[in-house]
Amino acid sequence: MTENEQPLVKEQKEETIRKESTIDKSAIEESAKKGSKKIGVYLCRCGGNIADAVDLQAVADNLKEDKNVIVNIQDYLCSSVGQDKIKNDIEKGKVDRVVIGSCSPKLHLETFRGMAKNAGLNPRLLEITNIREQASWVHDKEDKTGVTSKVLGLIKGAAARMGSIEPLSPLAKTLVDRTLVIGGGIAGITTALELSDSHDVILIEKKPYLGGHMIGLSKTFPTLDCSQCILTPRMVAVHNNPRISMLTQTQVADVQGSPGDYSITLKHSPRYVDIGKCINCGACARKCPTGAIFLPFAQAVPQAYMIDMSKCSNCGACVKICPRDAINLEEKEETSAIAVGAVAIATGFEPIDPTFIEEYNYPSPNILTAIEFEEMLSAKSKTGMRLQKADGTFPNRVAFVLCAGSRDFTGKGRKHCSKVCCIYSQKQAQLVKKMKEDSQAWIFYIDMRSGGRRFEEFYHHTQEKGVNYVRGKVAEILPKSDGTLMVQYEDTNLGRKGREIFDMVILCPALIPSTGTKEIADKLGVSIGDDGFIEEKHVKLDPVNTLNQSVFAAGCVLGPKDIHDSVTEGISAAHKVSQFLGKGMILIPPEKPVILECNGCGDCVKACPYNALALEGGKALLSPLACTGCGICVPACPIKGIEIRNFTRDQVKAQLQGILSEAPGVIVFIDPYAYAAADIAGVNRKQYSSLVRLVSIPSVHILDADVVNAAFEYGATGVMLIEGITDEKLTSRSDDLYKKLKKDTRKHKKPIRYSHIETAQYEKLTDLLNVFASQAGAKAQKMSRKEEISDKEDPVS
Amino acid sequence: MKKEPIIPESRDPAFIEQVIKTPVGEKIPTCMQCGICAGSCPVSQEMDYSPRELVRMVQLGLKKEVLSSSTIWICTTCFSCSVRCPRGIHPTELMETLKPIAIAEGIKNRNVKFDNVFSDVIKTNGRASEFLLISKYSLTEPGMIKQLPFGLSMMVKGKLPLSIQRMENTRELEAIFNLGEKSREKK
Repeated sequence: MTENEQPLVKEQKEETIRKESTIDKSAIEESAKKGSKKIGVYLCRCGGNIADAVDLQAVADNLKEDKNVIVNIQDYLCSSVGQDKIKNDIEKGKVDRVVIGSCSPKLHLETFRGMAKNAGLNPRLLEITNIREQASWVHDKEDKTGVTSKVLGLIKGAAARMGSIEPLSPLAKTLVDRTLVIGGGIAGITTALELSDSHDVILIEKKPYLGGHMIGLSKTFPTLDCSQCILTPRMVAVHNNPRISMLTQTQVADVQGSPGDYSITLKHSPRYVDIGKCINCGACARKCPTGAIFLPFAQAVPQAYMIDMSKCSNCGACVKICPRDAINLEEKEETSAIAVGAVAIATGFEPIDPTFIEEYNYPSPNILTAIEFEEMLSAKSKTGMRLQKADGTFPNRVAFVLCAGSRDFTGKGRKHCSKVCCIYSQKQAQLVKKMKEDSQAWIFYIDMRSGGRRFEEFYHHTQEKGVNYVRGKVAEILPKSDGTLMVQYEDTNLGRKGREIFDMVILCPALIPSTGTKEIADKLGVSIGDDGFIEEKHVKLDPVNTLNQSVFAAGCVLGPKDIHDSVTEGISAAHKVSQFLGKGMILIPPEKPVILECNGCGDCVKACPYNALALEGGKALLSPLACTGCGICVPACPIKGIEIRNFTRDQVKAQLQGILSEAPGVIVFIDPYAYAAADIAGVNRKQYSSLVRLVSIPSVHILDADVVNAAFEYGATGVMLIEGITDEKLTSRSDDLYKKLKKDTRKHKKPIRYSHIETAQYEKLTDLLNVFASQAGAKAQKMSRKEEISDKEDPVS
Repeated sequence: MKKEPIIPESRDPAFIEQVIKTPVGEKIPTCMQCGICAGSCPVSQEMDYSPRELVRMVQLGLKKEVLSSSTIWICTTCFSCSVRCPRGIHPTELMETLKPIAIAEGIKNRNVKFDNVFSDVIKTNGRASEFLLISKYSLTEPGMIKQLPFGLSMMVKGKLPLSIQRMENTRELEAIFNLGEKSREKK
């Protein structure tokens, strides 16, 4: 090998980056040949979760035929007994590479790799084959033979690829010690304040003031303390905190960079009043002829006036009168760029618009949402904190209608329970009774849910106050000509229909993620559930982490909850952010492209969507930290000079050969985002054909015709690419990739498909897999029939 | 109405299975008894069990009560319940599903009789005739004699026309009825 053949990985200037060792083709080949590898295959019964659907003993017996492989079956591999077995085998030198057949790597890969590291084995030399979420749980209604053969193939494939896996170490990158908190409600405020002890925080809020929904609440359950009284000190603390930069009327416009090192563009809407200069004297508002300049509400933080341009006549009176020159009517929308290492999403909820519930006749005079009811009695009140009907009088009879748009599985409303309505409606009913003792408050509920400390007592107390409870979902609300409202329902406890007249009806609407949650999630590379809320890393064990290690979430963006729980999550998220930033650096996966040969054509540089490749001295050079490992450069290279380490063409092909060695099947290349969807399908036991063999790859863009043709040659009846990443830089090129692959693999006359599946769309995924598996099967049958015929014809001719 | 306790013998698992397997049955187990169906129903007060209670009884497999209930015959198929049900259960369609089961099970009450007379009148004439309907029904249901004065006063006021309209070609209609019969036999 000559000097200039030596491929280079461009070194970053940051000292903390571990210098990537330069690699060359021969090193990879050598690694593949080196010595006789002793591969240990460990299969987990997972109680009966796997063993009931798969004949693990048959799998083991078959694998043992290869004398380089030792096989072991355990009841629970993740238990200390199971882990110790593997650890002992490694330490005694019985195995030097490990393939585990168990649950999803998303659950326990870290566990097992930690164990391998302790035993002195490079963690990369341990891999998990998912035989639970993607086999036993999704084919348990099928015949055991088919599933067993699939599992055997998957393990053989994993072992074949494992034979040439390189013992890579992760790369390290310095973290930017600054956090962006998105959302200035109670969850965001708490996260920011808790973090500010030891880290710099940028807190952004879409509205012109802090406080989120909480500042629009009256009293808070179950203690009935006033919302603004407990919140205002926190808002002021944010404003005065030197480590928190508070930016209102600000949204995220764009996210660049990678975890731990983001460059984020913020978009600032104009306020027309300089927050720093305004002293809140109100001279402008007194002069304004149209009432366009105003203070959002008395306690608003920041304490500064703002202009509603739809009302402004542009007369300039305010500009002249302002003693501080704080007003600028020419202000435009601006952008700014910030560098942060972590992001906490606390964008909260919004109420669903109940207009779609036709039988409730919202909006009508005196039919309000509970949020509107709260605001009437809060700091943001426009009625002087008086509860009043449209005609200004007090409503003597008030009905509360729970589950307006919640618990609805028809697709019109939302499936989830909004959790807080049972308790807040009782609080609101108490307030009505408190304001006027002889008034009537009725609560129409389906199930009264008052789980949680002090809540059942609160329910009991509300009953004592004389609030009337009716178990039954309201059927109709009809506005009458005299301004009253007729409510029709069934009292399900009695089985009798009823009608009542009320002065005011409060709808308790489903609480849904605030507008723009999906856009923010997409920009930050985190997924949302089919309910639209942010997905946690683990529902129970990692409740404020997301699958992106540098992005966290708190409050109602994770699902409806009360103030107490939002604060708890804010504190938790701050702790998790602090823990993350405290490490000072972030490890990033070493599965990056390696440039083995380069003719200096620059095609890869043009292909790279992240500017991670550059031509230097006529050769392509990689900046590993800018690289996301998408692999789009691999098929771009005209001389096949680029490979993704540990996902080289040869490695993937070896895996495919193993997978298809037992029986033909459908090869489904799947990226990590869509892989999560397949796991959710598994957890939900959504059945699909056991002919489907999922092959996890970093991105579908690493594929070229070479690999796909190999799959067909090894016996795949069809090939499918499933992409889950939402990054448009990649997805915008997927169609071209698919068309090219289709064209270049045409000679096999076997079906190939591409599909985009987001994490929440697991049902769509299983439907696609089933349809494709049967199509591919039918096509294969047709082809073999043709072959039979031509075989028969051949001797004749 | 005497309320019998629900004991294991009152429940018929095969009946649950039978109803759940029908196109509208799949979602029945998800009913949360919110009562929006009964609250929306214009005639639930005339039924012995409200639509909500009927769904509950199907969930429990109370076959006898379900099939002999007046509920399934009184339903006017206005579809309010089906439109509003948050669980996507279609009580209206459930009633339509239960009617033939009740007939097949030999349930005989005045609602079934009325239904039979009604379809007979349609089958022979192709048009509804209130006079024929009431007189034929009265023959099977002796209690109707009490309604005679009411019927006469209606007749005097021209609310119960004696004329019977017939459609031109009842053969086509008969063919439709026969097809229906055949498809029921197949099931």
